[in-house]
Amino acid sequence: MTTAEQQAAPSADTLVSARHLSVRYGRKTAVDDVSFTIPKGRVVGLLGHNGAGKSTLMKALVGLAAPEGELSVLGLHPQRDRVALLQGACYIPDVAILPRWARVDELITLMSRLQPRFSAQRARQLLARTSVGLSDKVKSLSKGMVAQAHLALVASIDARLMILDEPTLGLDVLSRKAFYEMLIDEWCDGERSVLVSTHQVEEVESLLSDVLMLNEGKLVLSISLEEVDRRFVALSHDPAVAEQMAAAHPLLKYRVQGGSAALFDGEPPPHVQALGRRVRPSLVDLFVALTRKPELDRQHF
Amino acid sequence: MKNLLPLMLREWLQHRFAWALLVLVPVAVSLLLLSVGSIQLDDEMMAMGPRQLSLMLAVLSMVITATVLLMLLATTSLFIALGSPRRDHGDRSVEFWLSMPSGHAESLLAPMLVHLLLVPAAALVIGYVAAIPVSMVVVGRVTGLGEWFALPWGQILATLAALLLRTLAGLPMAVLWLLPLLLAAMLANALFRRWGLPLLVVVMVLLAQGLERLFGQPVLADTLGALLFNAATSLAGAGGSPGEQGSIPLEALPALPGWALRDFAAAVQRLGQPLLVGALLVSAGFFAALVAWRRRGASVA
Repeated sequence: MTTAEQQAAPSADTLVSARHLSVRYGRKTAVDDVSFTIPKGRVVGLLGHNGAGKSTLMKALVGLAAPEGELSVLGLHPQRDRVALLQGACYIPDVAILPRWARVDELITLMSRLQPRFSAQRARQLLARTSVGLSDKVKSLSKGMVAQAHLALVASIDARLMILDEPTLGLDVLSRKAFYEMLIDEWCDGERSVLVSTHQVEEVESLLSDVLMLNEGKLVLSISLEEVDRRFVALSHDPAVAEQMAAAHPLLKYRVQGGSAALFDGEPPPHVQALGRRVRPSLVDLFVALTRKPELDRQHF
Repeated sequence: MKNLLPLMLREWLQHRFAWALLVLVPVAVSLLLLSVGSIQLDDEMMAMGPRQLSLMLAVLSMVITATVLLMLLATTSLFIALGSPRRDHGDRSVEFWLSMPSGHAESLLAPMLVHLLLVPAAALVIGYVAAIPVSMVVVGRVTGLGEWFALPWGQILATLAALLLRTLAGLPMAVLWLLPLLLAAMLANALFRRWGLPLLVVVMVLLAQGLERLFGQPVLADTLGALLFNAATSLAGAGGSPGEQGSIPLEALPALPGWALRDFAAAVQRLGQPLLVGALLVSAGFFAALVAWRRRGASVA
């Protein structure tokens, strides 16, 4: 995946294809001319600050926001074919949004009738792995249990694409771990794809195959994690050579344990590389580098 | 519209306990009070023979019980229906429902069908069934249980069945007449939350008064009055009062099924008015506005 427009062209394996996609709310442009593709079998992280346009983009993908530009999800037009699309793509908009009046088994009953590709048997199997009982009322469950129940229900849909919008927001670390374990163990099979937005970048980094970064509505990075390792170079260095590093115009200068580091887009010149030791850039550092505000840079460095 | 039935099932799952309480509590309270309290009758009634009095008490207690249950459940359901477009916003479960593959129109239509048609219809049927023990207690306490068993039950049940069918058949017609008002209230609630209904009433009153006082045109007040009158007579009284058929219950009973049929025919005849065509066109506009609101609201829910 890249931001290059020519590489956003759909292929047979493409589940999502967006070209020059924008979403506006009145005068505000929430998503601004983004182009990307999501092939099958990928776990894509959608990263961005609050208000960067992540939720809006996800809503556009499932036909709940009106976009401009070209957008195809599972070969369908999301707004026009929303009902058909939601039979093949499942969506968890946020945690703790299951109807509070319902019991878990009632939700299974309803989803069995509303969602043609839903398997009640699989839902019961997945729920048996959690501490959520079938006769539990949603309003009696903790946030973590609701998230688990919701994921179990949604993971029981034989869909090709799962879209998760901050699914673990507000959950404790154990609940977050359990959530992602269930997602990877029970849903990801190499054919299906997941698009997940989260602020807990460090926690999902090891699960991701690709990353999309949004900054103020614009897509600043669309790349696989292998490509991240190839393209971005982080050099850990002694503070004494900080000025020489800065002269090479890194994307970001930051602190690492026991010293400083600089992040470069592409290979830095050999004399700069010689000043430090190459380390793997983390997604968090990359995220900060690509989405920070320049006026803040001057204050910090 | 293939998800209409599952969405209607949701209403049952969500409201079944409240409905059961609304039926059982009044009937239980009535039975208790009628069993232990004193039943006072006026002199005219006391002057009747025991057979006449028993018949009158039985029919009256059944009609009153069914009417009370109908009013109770219909009023509750009416408010649920009017608030249905926005009801899932409180616990944010609207996002769960929006993630289901069901259309906006059917999602709005399902609660209307259930709460405006099915619940009142079920309330009528249950009301008449629940009224049987009530009539037994009333007649048993006033004239004796033997008199209750000696009543012409074949004739009573045939008459009540005719009245029941008349009201059931009139229910969809009443809803049709009231549809513009109901949908206007739903739209107002959707747009202005709890202020919607008061705002709608104030606007309607001011508009009606303004038209009448400034332009001498009572068209709005007349139209509203005609809609309410036609809705009421759709349920009963479109072809005159059943009282005209005879004032003594025993003689009136055989005539009631015929009256119900004629009354129904008169109500059907009223449907041919241009006013209904206009009302349905306005209703279609309000419904389209509600669908558009739900579609747009999805992006900012």
